[in-house]
Amino acid sequence: MRRSLICGAAGLLAAFLLWPGWAVAFEGEGTVRIGGMWPLSGPASFFGKAAFGLASLAVDEINEAGGLVVGGKRVKLALYSQDEACVAEQGLAVVKRLATVDKVLFSLGPGCSSVAEPVFGTLQKKLDDRSDTGLQLLFFTDIATKFGLAKLSPWAFRNTPDEPGMYDFVVKYLKEKHPDFKTVMVSYESDFAHSAATWNIALKPALERHKHHQVVEVVDWRWLDNEFGAQVTRLRKANADIYFSLTHTPSTCPSLRELKRQRVRPKIVVGITSLAGTEVLQQCPDVAEGVIAPSNFAPITPRAKQVADKAWERYKADSNIHSVPAYENVHLMKGLIEKAGIKNTEESLLSDRRKVRDLLATVGTFQGVVGKITMRPEDDPVKPRDVDKDLLLVQIRSAKWDIFWVPDHLKQN
Amino acid sequence: MSTVLLDGTEQLINGLMYGCFYALIGGGFTLLFGVLRRFNLAYGSTIMAGAYAGLIPVYLFNAPVLVLFVTTIVVSVLVGLLVEFCCFRFLRKGHELAPLMTTIGMLIVIDETIVYLTDAVGLKYPAPFGDESLALGPFLIRPDYLAILVVSVVSFSAIFYLLYRTRFGRAMRAVAERPDAAQILGVSVRHVNVLTFVLTSALAGIIGFFAAVSVGSARPEMAAWLTGKGLVVMVLGGLGSFPGAIVGGLALGVLEFEAVWFLGSSYRDILAFAILFLVLIVRPGGLLGTRTA
Repeated sequence: MRRSLICGAAGLLAAFLLWPGWAVAFEGEGTVRIGGMWPLSGPASFFGKAAFGLASLAVDEINEAGGLVVGGKRVKLALYSQDEACVAEQGLAVVKRLATVDKVLFSLGPGCSSVAEPVFGTLQKKLDDRSDTGLQLLFFTDIATKFGLAKLSPWAFRNTPDEPGMYDFVVKYLKEKHPDFKTVMVSYESDFAHSAATWNIALKPALERHKHHQVVEVVDWRWLDNEFGAQVTRLRKANADIYFSLTHTPSTCPSLRELKRQRVRPKIVVGITSLAGTEVLQQCPDVAEGVIAPSNFAPITPRAKQVADKAWERYKADSNIHSVPAYENVHLMKGLIEKAGIKNTEESLLSDRRKVRDLLATVGTFQGVVGKITMRPEDDPVKPRDVDKDLLLVQIRSAKWDIFWVPDHLKQN
Repeated sequence: MSTVLLDGTEQLINGLMYGCFYALIGGGFTLLFGVLRRFNLAYGSTIMAGAYAGLIPVYLFNAPVLVLFVTTIVVSVLVGLLVEFCCFRFLRKGHELAPLMTTIGMLIVIDETIVYLTDAVGLKYPAPFGDESLALGPFLIRPDYLAILVVSVVSFSAIFYLLYRTRFGRAMRAVAERPDAAQILGVSVRHVNVLTFVLTSALAGIIGFFAAVSVGSARPEMAAWLTGKGLVVMVLGGLGSFPGAIVGGLALGVLEFEAVWFLGSSYRDILAFAILFLVLIVRPGGLLGTRTA
């Protein structure tokens, strides 16, 4: 008796654990499923968690306002998030789960460019090509910033910083405002796709284009290195006017500390776009004081302030250059889903994804948190399915990010 | 002095100081291997656990650095004893590869626990030695590296004294060479094993403190890095040879600094492993190990 009870309980438990809750028809559960894959653990989790928080905030706002109308019915958004941990192998496992188990309509993320690259590689390369068995899952990426990633598949769209444009502006700005600062030194992470690409694809061509600065030293290290002495000695010997620190917080903080130890005092320090968040303020506000970073977000408008406060209040999520796009993307997609006329059933999932994809491809200009954002068309020769948006320069002052430069039209706000 | 010589010397000084740190890590691995004849792959995690735990009194009570240092050592010793109990105590007479698996398991458990508790985010560590390097002629010396040098010399001296001038040291060496014979002569092998864990775990606490101080944060990935470096130093110096671990650590430190300076950071590990490979071909027992080790 007792044995059969235990067996029965074990059977029930197994059935409970294995029960595919997702098998309930979508319209039956009254939700539209959207996905997100971010680094929710590991050294890049700061960004992933912030993006997850901002996406969750957008989902909350939409649901609290009554959800969205699909096929004449009011349904809610349900966010299925997965952890890619900034590890390519994990990203490849997670994307399959989102596409085939969670069966999401579209996905936000990935967070790391080194994950986005292989993940986008698994997507269909050519629309309507029956011989192409790649995944037909729409991505609207908010973090992975490496230039040109959206070119990998017609299913990949991004609302991420335009780093070549940003660093072109920075170089031009420095040339105009500080014509006497002519020498430049650079550091980047050789094993971090975003960092290396920022140097090779964004900053280096900009410096060559403007023909004003002389690069006197370039050093590299690894993302999670512990020792920067030899590289910083090189920077010390170069003694350049401007230092571009194209590295992420885990190596930026100890390397800036090493700069201080070795008494290297460049006149201007410009960081990588990803630096413009609170992580660096928590880790090393003292040595990062004065660092400038190009960004697309700062709480400079009433709306931006409201979003940042709400995200922090509800999810302790940092609103920054990488997380706010997740919020913008969810709000934009809500409108597109309503417009696309999807059926929201398991059977219609592929055609629903396609309908929303096609609408996103022609969305043109839409409202972001700080200003207008324009999605480039699919036939754009430079960066198809990537956006253009307002650029700001922010600077760490008294252990806080402060505005260093904003375009005139945003000043009026 | 020519610039190349000057640069090379500066990197040599830095490499030797940082090499002391590697020697401490390798020394911990070596002592354990020397006595137990088993690899403890959870040693890096023991170091990391101590480094994280040391921050608890700082974050909770704004405790001074001395409390952090002591807490790091105490927690490392406790974790070390846990490793001994879970991974070695009941396998002493088992296959020598068995602890390899149990310590890998323990490494994962400790790592994942810390990742779970901290969300895998690095925690800021105090900088007790300041942010200004000391000028020594044309060279700049990091004060925390200088502290590592001093602590290493003190630790190595204490360990040598313990090994060669005390009753416990004699027992340790006896167990390392002939555990069965030592037991027949009245030495408690279990007692020696436990005390060896206490000793190496205290060393782990010191290593954890300096590992986190030198980077400015305790990070979850430090366990893998420390384990990798420790194993390289141990093999390079000679399995089970404590003087070998010191020589191996110093050699690795100098090699890495010179490689980064003269060849670039990408060559650092390539060169280090190429040298390790070469040493193992020429001297399979390591620099100071026996040929047949």
